[in-house]
Amino acid sequence: MTDAVRVESLYKTYDTGTPVTALDGVSAAFEAGTFTAVMGPSGSGKSTLLQCAAGLDRPSAGRVFLGGAELTATGDTAMTKFRRERAGFVFQDYNLLPALTVEQNVVLPLRLARRRADRGRAREVLGTLGLAERAGELPERLSGGQRQRVAVARALVGRPAVIFADEPTGALDLRSAREVLALLRTTVRDFGRTVIMVTHDPMAAAYADTVLFLADGRLAGQLSAPTAEAVAAHLTELVAA
Amino acid sequence: MIAIALRTLRHRPGGFAATFLSAFLGAALLMAFASLLDTAAGADEASAESLGTTASVAGGWCLVIVVFAVTSTLSLAVRQRGDQFAVLRRAGATGPQLRRMIVGEAVAVAVLAAGVAVPVGLAGGRVLLGLLKDTGQVADGVGYAFGPVALAAGFGVTLIGAVIAGFATSRRTSRMGVKRERPRARRIAAGLFLGAAAGCAVLTATVMDGKGIDAMQTAGQAGIWGSLGLALLAPELLRLTGTSVRLASAVMPVTLFSGIATGTVYMQGIEDDAAAGQIQPDYARDIQTLNYVVVGMITVFVAIMLVNTLIAATVHRRREFAQLRLAGATRGQVTAMVAAEALRVTVTGILAGSAASLFTILPFGSARAGEIWPSASIAPYAVIAAIAVLLTATATLGTTRRSIRGPALPQA
Ligand SMILES: Nc1ncnc2c1ncn2[C@@H]1O[C@H](COP(=O)(O)OP(=O)(O)O)[C@@H](O)[C@H]1O
Ligand SMILES: [Mg+2]
Repeated sequence: MTDAVRVESLYKTYDTGTPVTALDGVSAAFEAGTFTAVMGPSGSGKSTLLQCAAGLDRPSAGRVFLGGAELTATGDTAMTKFRRERAGFVFQDYNLLPALTVEQNVVLPLRLARRRADRGRAREVLGTLGLAERAGELPERLSGGQRQRVAVARALVGRPAVIFADEPTGALDLRSAREVLALLRTTVRDFGRTVIMVTHDPMAAAYADTVLFLADGRLAGQLSAPTAEAVAAHLTELVAA
Repeated sequence: MIAIALRTLRHRPGGFAATFLSAFLGAALLMAFASLLDTAAGADEASAESLGTTASVAGGWCLVIVVFAVTSTLSLAVRQRGDQFAVLRRAGATGPQLRRMIVGEAVAVAVLAAGVAVPVGLAGGRVLLGLLKDTGQVADGVGYAFGPVALAAGFGVTLIGAVIAGFATSRRTSRMGVKRERPRARRIAAGLFLGAAAGCAVLTATVMDGKGIDAMQTAGQAGIWGSLGLALLAPELLRLTGTSVRLASAVMPVTLFSGIATGTVYMQGIEDDAAAGQIQPDYARDIQTLNYVVVGMITVFVAIMLVNTLIAATVHRRREFAQLRLAGATRGQVTAMVAAEALRVTVTGILAGSAASLFTILPFGSARAGEIWPSASIAPYAVIAAIAVLLTATATLGTTRRSIRGPALPQA
């Protein structure tokens, strides 16, 4: 099995007056075609890990491999070009540009990558997500759940190998959250993509194949075939420890 | 890339209002002065010389102020949309792509502003020519011309200013990872400006001693460079007084205003005293008029920059205000807190400006009147300080009141 993403001894220190160590030596491998949830108390370094693994930020030390190639060995521009070929992103606050229509938001990564902004492909993805009729509207006209589905469509449009999601259901009601999670699940099962998702919700984590736990910037356990109850129990232990 | 930038501009044009306004006013002023050079091409020799002097003296430093105003308003407009650039970066925009977008936006605003400024610059140039004719500087028969020099100056400077500002701003935005402000470039620029100020001051007191009114050129520049230099050091000055560095962008315009206004007004005062009873070159009246026009224009630019930065700073703090109110602070208490901060900003700016104005006043007094400290009334200084306080108070309290109106509910 090849690893879609691998991180080796990641350290990240934020230097804002007093230095904060967000990652304190994290090594992990994410197999291609799997769905992994990353959990941990607030401030444990989950978002930092995701951003470093995805090439959105640079670790202070350590190496990141995306699809077998080392991301951390390149400069900023090369790193951006590399990740936009292979990674898609979904964030809690949707990250849509208010001035662009739904369809324009969806094809944005393709346009930035100067790949042919294939309208057919955008329509196809939007159709799959039940948003075909909203293609020409501005994001402000959509509900939170719909906006997040647009964000998922944007993450999927370039057929990336890996999809990184940071609390994708954090701002959604229960029904919209389940829809988004089911979508992520489907992309793994039916299209062989790899999904790495940060969440604090045990119910969301139960959609994953594996759960990684973080505490104080270090790995603190792992669960396979998780249930919401098992995840919640492990979390409670972490917080109590 | 440019298409995305333009769509964003059209979607929320309000964010660029201040950039547009300062580019528009700047372009209009530059065109008005530069059209005097177009006019000079068709005038007799004496008239042409007078036109040339007026255009180059006033136009020259006008350029510095315009570039400064456009840069500061533009970088604020870009910083306010930091979250949008973060979105683009996450969607795969590279640093160079973001840079092209930001510069593209700046250029679009500048071209539009300069275009709209053409009729205003044309009318302004006509007024200036009328002034010069009234004082007998330019022969009555000289016809007004608005041509290539005016257009090149208006569009050229505004565009170049926008491109430079766009590049400078985007460098910070497009870099990866945690972005901390790098004060080195700013401090180096401040040092250079202060060096230029000192140079002009020394020149005024030595080479220009005894040259009469002509010493104004170097003396006036000394104060402008000094004000710019100290304005760039606003964060350091605030740190000295223990005030939040976040308000540095508001100290800048106050420093510029009080520095240039004080320097210019007192320089003219010294000149008026020294000239009493002497035979004056016939352009003395023009220069007097121009000096007051200069102070007036500075006031307008500073008002735009000040209101712009204060509105941005206050809007940015909406959440903080809302939390204060939730914690039980009354509207009056929030307003009092903001007023106290505004006062510190104003006092810091006025003190820095006063120091900068000495670059003009001391050497000019020595060169023109033989005394370093002017025996002038304190009244103009008091008026300038009062204007600075009034501008800051109006802008701060107005925006604060608007953002804390209504019930103490948390705002998004
Ligand atoms: N940009 C930043 N600047 C400074 N400190 C940061 C920054 N981002 C995160 N941190 C700090 O790093 C630690 C980990 O943050 P984060 O990765 O966001 O945790 P999580 O996502 O698990 O809540 C926290 O202590 C946080 O305060
Ligand atoms: Mg987080």
